[in-house]
Amino acid sequence: MPKCTINGKEVEVKDGTTIIEAMYGKDGEWPEGKVAHYCWHPGLSVAGVCRLCMVEIEGNPRLQIACNTMVTEGMKINNTSEKVKDAAKWGLDFHLINHPLDCPICDQAGECGLQDQYMEFGKYNPEMAEKKVKKHKVVDLGPTVVLDTERCILCSRCVRFTDEVSKTNELGIFNRGDRSEIGTFDGVPLDNKYSLNTVDICPVGALTSKDFRFRQRVWYLKDAETVCNGCSTGCNVKVYFNREGFFRVKPAYNPDVNGYWMCDEGRDLYKFVNRENRWLKAKKRTYNGIEEMMPGAAAKDASFAVKSLGDSVALVLTGQYSVEEYESIVSTFANDLKSKRIYHWISNPEKANDFDGLLLRGDKNPNTKGLQQVLQKHGVNTNWADLLSAISSGAIQTVVVAGPENQAVYADMKDKIRDLSKAKNLIWLQTGRNHDLEALTGNVWLIPMKSYVEKDGTFVNHAGLAQKFKKTTTVVSEALTLTEASDLLAGKQLVIKPETNVFVESEKPADRVTVEHRKKNEFVFRRGTL
Amino acid sequence: MFQLSTEGLQKVKSELTRYEDKMSAIIPALAIAQKENKGWVTDEVVQHLSQVMDIPTSRINEVFKFYTMFNQKPVGKFHVQVCTNISCALNNSRELADHLCKELKIGFDQITEDGKYTISRVECLGSCGTAPMMQVNETYHENLTPESAMNILRGLR
Amino acid sequence: METKLLTEFYHLDEFRTLAGYKKHGGYETLKKALKMQPQQITDEVKASGLRGRGGAGFPTGMKWGFLPKNNEPRYLLCNADEGEPGTFKDRLMMERAPHQLIEGMIISGYAIGSKKGYIYIRGEYFYPISVVQEALKEAYAAGLLGKNIMGSGLDFDLDVYSGAGAYICGEETGMISSLEGLKGQPKLKPPFPAVQGYLRKPTIVNNVETLAAVVPIIKDGAAAYKKFGTEKSAGTKLFSLSGNVVRPGNYEVNLAYPLKDLIYGLGGGMRPGRKLKAVIPGGSSAPVLTAEEAERATMDYECLAGMGSMLGSGAVIVIDDSQCMVDMLGVLTHFYHHESCGQCTPCREGTGWLNKVVHSILEGRGRLQDIELLLKVADNMKGRTICALSDAAALPVLSFVTKFRDEFEFYVREGRSKVRGVRHAEMHH
Repeated sequence: MPKCTINGKEVEVKDGTTIIEAMYGKDGEWPEGKVAHYCWHPGLSVAGVCRLCMVEIEGNPRLQIACNTMVTEGMKINNTSEKVKDAAKWGLDFHLINHPLDCPICDQAGECGLQDQYMEFGKYNPEMAEKKVKKHKVVDLGPTVVLDTERCILCSRCVRFTDEVSKTNELGIFNRGDRSEIGTFDGVPLDNKYSLNTVDICPVGALTSKDFRFRQRVWYLKDAETVCNGCSTGCNVKVYFNREGFFRVKPAYNPDVNGYWMCDEGRDLYKFVNRENRWLKAKKRTYNGIEEMMPGAAAKDASFAVKSLGDSVALVLTGQYSVEEYESIVSTFANDLKSKRIYHWISNPEKANDFDGLLLRGDKNPNTKGLQQVLQKHGVNTNWADLLSAISSGAIQTVVVAGPENQAVYADMKDKIRDLSKAKNLIWLQTGRNHDLEALTGNVWLIPMKSYVEKDGTFVNHAGLAQKFKKTTTVVSEALTLTEASDLLAGKQLVIKPETNVFVESEKPADRVTVEHRKKNEFVFRRGTL
Repeated sequence: MFQLSTEGLQKVKSELTRYEDKMSAIIPALAIAQKENKGWVTDEVVQHLSQVMDIPTSRINEVFKFYTMFNQKPVGKFHVQVCTNISCALNNSRELADHLCKELKIGFDQITEDGKYTISRVECLGSCGTAPMMQVNETYHENLTPESAMNILRGLR
Repeated sequence: METKLLTEFYHLDEFRTLAGYKKHGGYETLKKALKMQPQQITDEVKASGLRGRGGAGFPTGMKWGFLPKNNEPRYLLCNADEGEPGTFKDRLMMERAPHQLIEGMIISGYAIGSKKGYIYIRGEYFYPISVVQEALKEAYAAGLLGKNIMGSGLDFDLDVYSGAGAYICGEETGMISSLEGLKGQPKLKPPFPAVQGYLRKPTIVNNVETLAAVVPIIKDGAAAYKKFGTEKSAGTKLFSLSGNVVRPGNYEVNLAYPLKDLIYGLGGGMRPGRKLKAVIPGGSSAPVLTAEEAERATMDYECLAGMGSMLGSGAVIVIDDSQCMVDMLGVLTHFYHHESCGQCTPCREGTGWLNKVVHSILEGRGRLQDIELLLKVADNMKGRTICALSDAAALPVLSFVTKFRDEFEFYVREGRSKVRGVRHAEMHH
């Protein structure tokens, strides 16, 4: 456990730690000692090619790179001297001499490594008066990523990613010298289940996501951390949103669950949360047509079909709600309504144990384990066949369904809707729109639910790890949580508190330029003064 | 679609086991394939080698585009490479290269109409004591004058 | 006067065959070496003061001593990439005396405990490759390579690997990368090749001349070798003389040989009517010397280092007063720009920048601040990269501009060469 001194502060580190790891910490926390870098990434091997992370070590006349130098006992490291600053300035200068002036049209503006480091070390008058090297722009790398080779600073992070993490070897660096270009071989596109991670790790706007391209400037976005609800891995993610809705999802570091990465499927999940895909008002189908009403009113309206009907009410749950909601609705049904007919809708059991070796799992529900734990706690033990037979025999009059938030992974949605709508009364609670449900006839109530990003909760992942997530923002403020819906359906008196917190920080609405939430940007040291 | 001849395939297969790691066989394989593909390497060649050697195309493509001796564009039957680095430049090799181009009526890295010659300017070939000099395919021709160089070229079959 | 320690029999055609080599004492030293202990051989090489003859000049015995003292398999790699402009001595050695190299490698392999060696020869050297391959065949057939060499119990295998055209593969880790089947890009050091090299095993990389020199050192002993040269620069070296001299070629002389004797004596001096202007003493990466400095210089590591240059590969490039220094610098910046591997940013972008500025001046578009700019850019390319190509690209720029500044200033002001009177583009197009 060697002790070293960094910028005057003594730090003790584990054996085999490099200087840059000592300054950044392996878990991505960025304490005071920061080092300019591009090619180093804690989740990838060391390349040492950007030559920006120069530090001065006492006793060594030559500057060393921090990413490849091991800390030894008593090492005195300093990266605030003039010599280091000058080396970093020239390192940055060399990066910029052939870099195109694309900032006005580049997605990366606002979170760009070159911009951020220029504010820190740059602010010089450029002296390069020759013609810049011209390379390929707008290269279609694959279904999800676009490449601009002129912007690329050849840090090789993306190449190392496809070699070491996704192990698919699509990317390479071709040609020598300043004619070098990142690229794929013709006919082998960048197309694996983790391709969009390369966009995250690219420090500049060379790799951009086709989905996010040109859609929003990053300084108009707030970000909040939550857990992905795409599968039972439960990767930690950061969602980016403003008043218009959600725009993108990026991974957040968690050493126990997903490391630094997330899969591409999880990145699409923000689309199910935005208003255009949501039920905004409850719909009650009667013999006269469709009546729209507030969700709370609809739940109250439907409660006659639920409360005091005992065992003829069935509850169908999908594994996509939080543990707190399960606890509340299951105990309401078991204790207050005295119904043990609680069924777990498992959509593709044969794939449940699939695992691709990296992050993707076959069970596309974030909280299957949580649901199983709650059911077990209340002694609920049922099987699906009983539900279907009880519906057809008439023993079950009302079915309350907590439908999936992420309908795309439920292949049996149509079949289940058909089966469950055979009951006399159907109360379907769900976040997103569904045409089949809206076309049903009979006693049907369709009640909009809050998405998981709009509430606090806990998901339990495949390994039994319980992860708490906090509300990020509100999209449909009138929608109910499962807890509120179950209370209303059971006939309990419930006052729905008006939403006071429409945004996480109401005094700073997301569509104004805010400074604090950009703090965790990798290349920013301090917000510079212009 | 490019395919190695039986003989070429045999050679590549033997290179795969000749060195400690099969990746080392990429350079020899590209050299063999280039010879069979009229002196240059195309995407099809890389694709074929990737199948034969079971190595990802991106790795072979990287090696192909890194080294000067693998041609990315077609060349004439006789690839005339004139050294224009310092020792040869001190002995007027650049003027020699210009002279050859003028005589053959082509620019650098182009092919004559009869497909016979391509003139390229290259870096040091390790023959500085006998400057100016040129390499035609695999043979060095040293101590040249503009006339002797043209005579050599005209005599090539 | 030449000191033909290595090259004594190079003029004989038969010397490249096994029979001819043996006739003149070939493989007798191997017999002697196999009776010594490996450590004794390393000690002898250390005591001789032999320094790497490829360009870096690192003490060979010390390099061998960095290997771990365990049973890990280790490799002996011969660097025959010879890409440094002006250098053509290794080619001579391989064409004329391949068995000398092979014998030197077997002895060195025995000393360091290696069982496998490779000779990495640049791809353009088709003829030397075929000569060396033929010699290897002869050696294997005669039981000098392979298992149980000369009945001593030593196993040593040697093979040739052909490069494909990249100067950067002359850098030891660039060569290792190329041998591993990757692009020839140098690796980060640490770890050093002696600890983790080829395929992450301990590896020693030595130049052709260095390995061949092991033969006379073991044959006659370290003390005899030290009789030539100086304390810090012991032995003989092949110098490749080229450029504007009457008799260019390879000359083997003792180290500390006066440069002016090399040029005017062995080299035959200047062409009629011409005067010496500048000399690059150690390959294009060595800072240039003015004629006055060349008069005083002796060809050893200390003297040239003291003058701000270096012995390097020993390629002496002579420039006379008919040449434009701006033009020649343009040739060199083009070379480094073409050969940069592109891994690290200062070199990748810097070589391109330097080349563009110099060619801007050559085309008559130079600005007065370009001269200071060249010096600044080159200065900031030194000591900041994975390998020394960046320094090698920067040093010529710094030395040419500093020592021949008047030519650069004239060209910028007048838009044409001070020496030739015309613009670069008119000089040869």
